[in-house]
Amino acid sequence: MKWVKFVNNLFVIVDAINQGSFSHLTRHRIPGAMPFGAKYRLIDFTLSNCKNSKVFNVGIFPYGNYRSLSDQIGSGSRWDLNRRRDGVFLLPPKVIVNTIDHEISFQRMYEHLEYFKRSTQEYALITPANIVMNVNYNDLLEKYLDAEVDLATFLTDDYRLLKIYIIKKDLLLDYITKYDQIQFRNLSDVFDFSSSIKKTSIRLENPSFLIESSQDFFHANMQLLMEEVRDKIFDSERPIYSKETMSAPTRYGEHAIVKNSIIASGAVIEGEVINSIVGRKAHVKKNAKVLHSILLNHSNIGENSVVEYSILDKETIVIDDAKVHGTIDQLFVSEKKQIVTSEKRLTILQVSAEVEPYMKTGGLADVVGGNAEAYSKLGRKSLVIMPLYPKIYEKYQLMLKHEIDQTITFGGEDFKASLYSLTHQNTVYYFIETYQFFERDKIYGHDDDDFRFGFFSLAVIAFLKNLESYPNIIHIHDWHSALIPMLLKEKNIDIKTLLTIHNIEYQGKFTTEVLEKLNIKTKYNFIRPSMLNFLEAGIHLADKISTVSETYKEELSYEYYSKNLVESINKRARDFYGILNGVRDDVGPKNNLEIAKKYDLVSVFLAKPKNKKDLQKRLSLTENKNAFIIGMVTRIVEQKGFDIIIPALKEVLKDQNIQFVILGTGNEMYLKQLRDLEKQFPQQVSTNLTYNATNPDYIYAGADLFLMPSRVEPCGLGQMIALKYGTIPLVRQTGGLNDTIDHYDLSGKRGNGFKFYNLDSRDLIFQLNYAYSVFNEHKSDWNQIIINAMNSKFTIKDSAIKYIELYEMMV
Amino acid sequence: MKKIISMILVGGKGTRLGDMTKYKAKPAISFGGKYRLIDFTLSNLSHSNIDVCGIVTQYEPMEMMNYIGNGASWDLDYTDGGIQFLTPYLKKEDIEWQKGTGHAIKQFFDFVENYQSDYVLILPGDHIYKMDYNKMINAMEEDDSDITIASTRLVQDDLHRFGVIELDESNYITRFLEKPNNPTTDLVSMGIYIFKKDVLKELLFSNTDLPDFGRDIIPEALKQNKKILSYEFKGYWRDVGTIQSLYNANMDMLDNPGFLGLNSSKNLPIFSRSLNLVPHIVLYAGLVQNSVIADGCKINGQVKHSSIAYQVDIKSHSVIKDCVVFSKVQIGEFVHIENAIINEGVIIPKNYESINSKCVLITQENLYEMGEIRE
Repeated sequence: MKWVKFVNNLFVIVDAINQGSFSHLTRHRIPGAMPFGAKYRLIDFTLSNCKNSKVFNVGIFPYGNYRSLSDQIGSGSRWDLNRRRDGVFLLPPKVIVNTIDHEISFQRMYEHLEYFKRSTQEYALITPANIVMNVNYNDLLEKYLDAEVDLATFLTDDYRLLKIYIIKKDLLLDYITKYDQIQFRNLSDVFDFSSSIKKTSIRLENPSFLIESSQDFFHANMQLLMEEVRDKIFDSERPIYSKETMSAPTRYGEHAIVKNSIIASGAVIEGEVINSIVGRKAHVKKNAKVLHSILLNHSNIGENSVVEYSILDKETIVIDDAKVHGTIDQLFVSEKKQIVTSEKRLTILQVSAEVEPYMKTGGLADVVGGNAEAYSKLGRKSLVIMPLYPKIYEKYQLMLKHEIDQTITFGGEDFKASLYSLTHQNTVYYFIETYQFFERDKIYGHDDDDFRFGFFSLAVIAFLKNLESYPNIIHIHDWHSALIPMLLKEKNIDIKTLLTIHNIEYQGKFTTEVLEKLNIKTKYNFIRPSMLNFLEAGIHLADKISTVSETYKEELSYEYYSKNLVESINKRARDFYGILNGVRDDVGPKNNLEIAKKYDLVSVFLAKPKNKKDLQKRLSLTENKNAFIIGMVTRIVEQKGFDIIIPALKEVLKDQNIQFVILGTGNEMYLKQLRDLEKQFPQQVSTNLTYNATNPDYIYAGADLFLMPSRVEPCGLGQMIALKYGTIPLVRQTGGLNDTIDHYDLSGKRGNGFKFYNLDSRDLIFQLNYAYSVFNEHKSDWNQIIINAMNSKFTIKDSAIKYIELYEMMV
Repeated sequence: MKKIISMILVGGKGTRLGDMTKYKAKPAISFGGKYRLIDFTLSNLSHSNIDVCGIVTQYEPMEMMNYIGNGASWDLDYTDGGIQFLTPYLKKEDIEWQKGTGHAIKQFFDFVENYQSDYVLILPGDHIYKMDYNKMINAMEEDDSDITIASTRLVQDDLHRFGVIELDESNYITRFLEKPNNPTTDLVSMGIYIFKKDVLKELLFSNTDLPDFGRDIIPEALKQNKKILSYEFKGYWRDVGTIQSLYNANMDMLDNPGFLGLNSSKNLPIFSRSLNLVPHIVLYAGLVQNSVIADGCKINGQVKHSSIAYQVDIKSHSVIKDCVVFSKVQIGEFVHIENAIINEGVIIPKNYESINSKCVLITQENLYEMGEIRE
């Protein structure tokens, strides 16, 4: 290695934007600031690599809450980065742009263009902040130069993406200055799609970990317990530096037993610690057992308690005798300062206007019904309450048990309300009958919806003591029951409430008349004169709020998405969670008799062509086994992205090998445009503009690509179903779509679909053509995507576990 | 102008500590796994918000200076004052070695003058205790005494190692006996003095040569009828001048979980320079009980009732019981040691055994006098 060539010829951009999917571990910090390996923070590894590589120019791009990061870095002197020339630069966002990026964009770099221009080094290395590795960056630069490429990306020893790039500064600068003219938003776009530059991916042999989820975090920590990994990560030639902190030496009590564990200073160990990582000043008390767990700083494990497969965030307190059992697949993850009690007997009451299978108009019913069953299976007491609509009474008359009647006063009038129940697989479903309000066919859309659901909420509270067991959590869904927290406060009932927002569009805006009828005395400042927004009241007064995906939660902090409620939402940011919905286990091609040939992961490559043929035959498309079929099952409205879909289709359908099928109904304007499209390409397009009547499974089974470029998508179900069928989703990077679909990358062979960001038909065309080219020209990659897709798991159980974690944190 | 400045005497050779102090001054000796004796005095200064500290060195100052650096680890890196090293230097005629504690201060009296302070706090750098010096200053101010000496009551039998104090009923010192053969009280001087600056100057620069505080200056001050107040300190305090007393203080720490509040976040911490080491690991065959362990250790043997400093490697099937192990010690397999201080960096070979009834110091040189290789 020619020394001179490598001296100070590299500057490092630290991408601390990646949020990963950490549930609550990163609520108070960004991933780069996460504690790691008992006494470090993730960023220490990158900064130490800089120091050990004699890199003195480091730019850090933080996201949102970067206090914990800047606290950790300080002046950078710990890493010799406090220099007269160069040094460490924290480059915060200048514009709060409305993007949910997982990677630093050229646009974001453009905000600090000066920094790039001033950097004198010839090459730039871009690395995520949430990475654990010990490497000399000059070795990477040497590999890059040896490969004689323009852009190199680096992979772990098991071929996972590290998201580290090396590029010439001039070329990078070129992308940055032209960010608004090029279709690449960031370096991974360039790597995946640019054909004009030379690029390569380089595998690194030393252990390295990109930490993007609680699982990654756990895995990498546990790897430290392996000597060969530990010796390479903590290479004494290249020490990892961290901010100097002071604590006493670790103190071991009389009966301490510690095996194969890393313990930071200041910890006090009086109990048993096996295969674990214990952070600074953690305290494991007498007879406590900590197994396969990570305790972050100041966590406190009570006497006789057991903690297994858990990540306990800073200052978590596990009370005496508590039992905390995670599993290797389902870690228990506590929130900062959480007090963990034993699995307390939870009684969860869900309140909803619709519940599958009793009454359903949309996805809400699926979620409530699915979760209710899952809670029971997971050993929690699960109760559901909803209005008794005539349709339910007709169908379930014989099974309904009459519980009790009550007279409820509402607006000075007395109403008779009857409570019915039905128990199914340990879940108790309750129905409230009051003929004046609920004896109607349509469940929403009446002029007196405010009175109906206001009364319903009042009745739910009146019947609380008549339920099989008294709930300690009331989980309310959407606006219909959003007045419950207010009523509970008015009546001084102390039950914790969680409000889930399934779609911010539905808010329940009415006058304040219903408040008088409900006899609400307190004056709330968020209620404007004579205007009552049910959802807003819920957002303000529920103990915690949640929505149906992490990305949608992030999006809701912007006015573009949450509109009039942006302020209320942001005020509750601390108590706001994103939990992804799941899809039922029985959905899918495995035991499906409705499709031509049922299949699973083993038989997919044999069965898919048969289902494709069946689809083409049913819908009278050209029967061509090589055709690329784009399928859609959707409501046909603007929200689903039809304004960009139709122009894009007109373009791509010029290739006769591409076919398009759609099932759904909705907005007449788009329906007409779709019919026109069918006329224009009769051999290639089939529109089936009805819904419900037809089973859509044959489309999921027969299509190659599932198109879902939604404008807004809180969670989305279609893409999750498509994954199960091995039908590859092409989605826009928004809401739940963003959280369920990973863009396939040709180098790492990971990803279960295709994803683009700009709501623009050109970008959609580009992405459709890309998907088509992979399908056509890289058959093995396409098969890999199918395997990855079918291996993606978004189950109701996973979703329910997350909700239970949240409930347990609340009680 | 400062109200008070402090000077720490770290020149002591500590000859009774044997080879421990072969290459370092006594205040640089390790204590309780991760501390050095000097940490206690520096942390006390830090918590007492005294921001000028002259460190008077003489014997083997290198390690000390390296360790303390600019004092940032104790938050004592102030632009106006902070830590300053006062090392012997060549005067016109000759290098002036210090003949005693008083002499050392006299030599650097320019430093004192420079700050024009009202009071001068003189501290030894090798004692284990936690004290707020402000309380002592307050007592002195209230009383308007000329000199205040911190004192404490000891129950041990080696009172003859200390300066013993006799008081009148209003806590003024009437008699001061440095290292007497037959001590008359159990109240001893902690070697911590606060002088009114002018009183100190007058005593140091009088015609008689007064090289040492305990032996010369305080008796002279008494003779001159200066008002000398005794400030009695009630907390834990040890001057670890001998191997046995250093060992005992380490055991005090092990036996008392609340020792100086070290492991409690509710107490003011004792700061120490952290060495950027990896956290320690206990491997499968390791067992650690009733002990403290510092960073960078790799423990695969049994450690019972011992204090283990940085980067100690203990291999499997070894037993370390009732020991104080200094940093960078390597202990091979099947070793058994009880009741010993193991000096820094000693390499203990496989099958070594040293079981003692009374604490001994094991060094590389005396390894085979203190124990043997088991067959």
